[in-house]
Amino acid sequence: MSTLPLEDLDQDLSAAAAGPWQTVVWNDPVNLMSYVTHVFREYFGYPLERAQKLMLAVHHDGHAVVAEGAREQMELHAQAMHDYGLWATVREAAS
Amino acid sequence: MTPLELELSAIEAANLTDLVEQFAELVADSTDAGTIDDPAVARLVPDAYLDDPDAAGEFRRLTQRDLLRRRSGDAGVVLATLLRDGEPVTPATLEPGQERDRIVVTLDAEQLRAWLRTLAAVRLVLASRLGVVDEDDHADDDSRFGVYDWLGYRLETLVRAADRDL
Repeated sequence: MSTLPLEDLDQDLSAAAAGPWQTVVWNDPVNLMSYVTHVFREYFGYPLERAQKLMLAVHHDGHAVVAEGAREQMELHAQAMHDYGLWATVREAAS
Repeated sequence: MTPLELELSAIEAANLTDLVEQFAELVADSTDAGTIDDPAVARLVPDAYLDDPDAAGEFRRLTQRDLLRRRSGDAGVVLATLLRDGEPVTPATLEPGQERDRIVVTLDAEQLRAWLRTLAAVRLVLASRLGVVDEDDHADDDSRFGVYDWLGYRLETLVRAADRDL
């Protein structure tokens, strides 16, 4: 992603510091499963297994939390997902 | 990564050029509009907040135009790399008998990402036009589904190629 200065976030994310905000990706009938998995690997830097697990959760449960952390960061992630054509939203984690 | 070589027939290249040009036009027309009425374009810039219209509106105000500009940029990369002897292949410039000519598109990593995002976005627009709301929605007698399926097949191939470098 040359369009967003997010490269540095990959490392932080794999540590997956839980935060009060979440980025949620929603199922849609159009995006290919392989493509969604690819996006999770490429953008978040998730290992194949984790990316596939998340993709299947989106597919079967209708949505999945793909990242947690500060609100601004979750908004950047949502924007990046929209860049890929995935539908993502931001929400406050249930306390 | 090693540059990826994507092989297409001339007719595929011409049809894809036509589709991506239409897509780029649609996106460009919507970019300066504050509100988007076309559901196909709206799908490219979805609400980022489900239950908070104010936050969704603010997010949209800050991001929508840039998002659509990036779609135009990506589409531009596709059109700039989808060439035959350095020239675009369009249905109008394709001469009879050339349909099956082989065209090789060479893509570096960044160009490949632009292709992936564009094919995914064009499929979203087509799906919206076709009224796809369920994965099983498919009218075999509608030729537009042929284009939709073909894009899916091409996207799948490119995803596999891109995965090799992850």
